[in-house]
Amino acid sequence: MNYEPVLTARIGVVDPACLHDYEAHGGFQALARAVELGPDRTVAQVEAAKLLGRGGAAFPAGIKWRAVHNAEGPKFVVANADESEPGTFKDRILMEKDPYALIEAVILAGYATGAGKGFIYVRGEYPRAYQRLRQAVARCYEAGYLGKDILGSGHEFHLELRRGAGAYICGEETALFESIEGKRGYPRLKPPFPTEAGLFGRPTLINNVESLVSVLPIVLRGPDWFNSIGPANSPGPKLYSLSGRVRKPGLVEAPMGVTLRELIEAHGGGVSGSGEFQAALVGGAAGVFLGPDQLDTPLDFHSLAKMGAALGSGAVIVFDTSVDMMQVLERIAAFFAHESCGKCYPCQLGTMRQRDIIARMVAGQGRPGDLALLRDIGQTMRDASICGLGQTASSAILSAFELQLT
Amino acid sequence: MTSDQTLALEPDQERALQTLMRRYRGRGQSALLPMLHEVQAITGWVDEPTARAVAHTLGIPEIEVHNVLTFYTLFYTEPVGKRVIRVCNDIACVLAGNGELIQRLAEELGVDPETGGTSADSRFTLELHPCLGHCERAPFLMLDEEPMGPVAPDQVPDLLGGVS
Repeated sequence: MNYEPVLTARIGVVDPACLHDYEAHGGFQALARAVELGPDRTVAQVEAAKLLGRGGAAFPAGIKWRAVHNAEGPKFVVANADESEPGTFKDRILMEKDPYALIEAVILAGYATGAGKGFIYVRGEYPRAYQRLRQAVARCYEAGYLGKDILGSGHEFHLELRRGAGAYICGEETALFESIEGKRGYPRLKPPFPTEAGLFGRPTLINNVESLVSVLPIVLRGPDWFNSIGPANSPGPKLYSLSGRVRKPGLVEAPMGVTLRELIEAHGGGVSGSGEFQAALVGGAAGVFLGPDQLDTPLDFHSLAKMGAALGSGAVIVFDTSVDMMQVLERIAAFFAHESCGKCYPCQLGTMRQRDIIARMVAGQGRPGDLALLRDIGQTMRDASICGLGQTASSAILSAFELQLT
Repeated sequence: MTSDQTLALEPDQERALQTLMRRYRGRGQSALLPMLHEVQAITGWVDEPTARAVAHTLGIPEIEVHNVLTFYTLFYTEPVGKRVIRVCNDIACVLAGNGELIQRLAEELGVDPETGGTSADSRFTLELHPCLGHCERAPFLMLDEEPMGPVAPDQVPDLLGGVS
């Protein structure tokens, strides 16, 4: 437990509105260091850190940074701040309490990849984060961190904020591009991947807020430091959004791979309600339930993947034994039926069928074969949906039946 | 898809809208979401003539404006109350007992607790919303852009009464 927070070190310490306060607490030192290193060696630091994307997909960030760095012509950097996975609030707190860190990280990414323009796409339901960032961007222009010749590097970089408008699907990276382009947030078929043809058809680096903010200490302290935290194959500090039936819900920064038990007991103050643990939903609505036998599971990308689960965004919602899990499943099923964008049929129809079946089970009108039908629908959505929404829409529900929580 | 009703704007709202239109003239499709956010901040919702004006201002087909208006839940093509209350109706808030909060709000406003709706005096619209990302403050709601949580049901009268 002797872990010193890094990503959240300034939270509650600095005045989020004050650029000088940010500078006085280590702000813009990573950008200065990157300019000393030069673009190529800065990208190499991200590669050597083995940073895995914190938005949910755990894709190696270094691969994206290198690909966009190597690409020719106009290119973009996009911060995916459309945090909408149920149970997830880590990026909101980073943006509200330490907005300059995200801005510095985006500028740094622009410098390293050679992009001249960046966007931060902030969830529509996060007005406070948007206002704080907006004010911070204006201050960064005044102070010369944005615009021409940033820190004497000769690099020109501009940053624009965008607000989402209430669509979970826009957290999917290609749907997010469509939204910035002024269209419905329908995901695109991949390939081509964003690093080749992303925003406005140009090579684009898109990373989650926490991933970008993680690059600042990587550049300042070096990849060896990053690799010294957590397991070797998913290293680094990690933010966990802890909620539900725990005594102290909130944002937790811990070394990647903290166990579920430690998260609940040491950070969350223990299970509330009946006081007895029933299950935890890890990774949000797109995640998987873990039961009492899995309390010692390390919450890192690889350990969870090995058991068919996923860390996702790092959301952990805890349920005590008094919770009726069928009602939770009903909520999850309704969520996906509402948020499916309707572009591809497996997801559009599958999420609706799933909702209907769960609803009739809740109403005591379940039919023989319903569970087999749910599995069949889930398999179809996993295999045939074009994006992560449909591919994960059945995972929590099927895992609950697997664990016999219902 | 848009309502048959049209906006009844005050002169200062009209002026603000005209200023906005000048600022966005010819900026193209990528400016559509930012512009609609700004339009709605003035008008509350977007009627047919305003949607058409947005299309002409940006220089894009009207269908593109309709596509976007009808896709995103934060854009409204029907009249809404002066203030919008979005109550989070997702897992952490359900666990924290948001049902009672929704029930109380619905009673005070005279709307259906299952679906939400707009009060008869058009002062408030109640919406049940997927996870609003404030799970550590459950049960949570947003009064327009102001985050509030945790909110107890007996705070509801004060909350509604304190709003102009």
